Amino acid sequence: MAVQVRIPTVFRKFTDGNPSVELEPGTIADLVDQLEARYPGMREQLLTSEGQLHRFVNVYVNDEDARYLEKLDTKVADGDTVSLLPSVAGG
Amino acid sequence: MTELRMPKTFADEMVEHCIHGKPQEACGLLAARDGRVVQVFRMTNASASPVRYSLDPKEQFAVYEKIESEGWELGGVFHSHTHTEAYPSPTDVRMASEDVPYVIVSLAQEPPSIRAFRIVKQNWMDSEGSIEEIAVSIEG
Repeated sequence: MAVQVRIPTVFRKFTDGNPSVELEPGTIADLVDQLEARYPGMREQLLTSEGQLHRFVNVYVNDEDARYLEKLDTKVADGDTVSLLPSVAGG
Repeated sequence: MTELRMPKTFADEMVEHCIHGKPQEACGLLAARDGRVVQVFRMTNASASPVRYSLDPKEQFAVYEKIESEGWELGGVFHSHTHTEAYPSPTDVRMASEDVPYVIVSLAQEPPSIRAFRIVKQNWMDSEGSIEEIAVSIEG
């Protein structure tokens, strides 16, 4: 068992095209660290320079928006699915 | 991807959603398999604006789940331009985030026109990028 992280198209150039990756359980912040270790450059895609989730990135843990949980401190367990979603907008 | 193939029924559904959304911009997502659209998802324009659109994240998540469970791929993002041509606005370029075709339905003329573009950026947060047109092939 592991945590499955779904990667949106925009970040797949970092993940060698993989649409999902498996990581160890922890908090979302831990997952970001694991992503950065495996795919350098991912952290700055997800976090602001102040270390907060970028406002244009939505993170879902299973079917819950992490913003309404504990944000980066949200705990993610074996078997959970984390989905990264870029906000889609324009004019 | 150099071509987006779309059965006419889906093109019609997309245009109908855009017309129904007037005077606001309308938006949605396209699911595809091997570059061919297999479903249109009509989405809420969370911005409720005639000049802006944004997907509701909860709806977006649900559609991504559906696409995943069906083994499809995200085939594109579509939205309407109610009074301007079917070409990415500076806002479209600035806000582009998915590396998929951005389909624009222009309602500025009759019949509406449909064009698709890939917006290429070094980094998705960049405010500028290049625009590459993708042919839209409407089938049937």
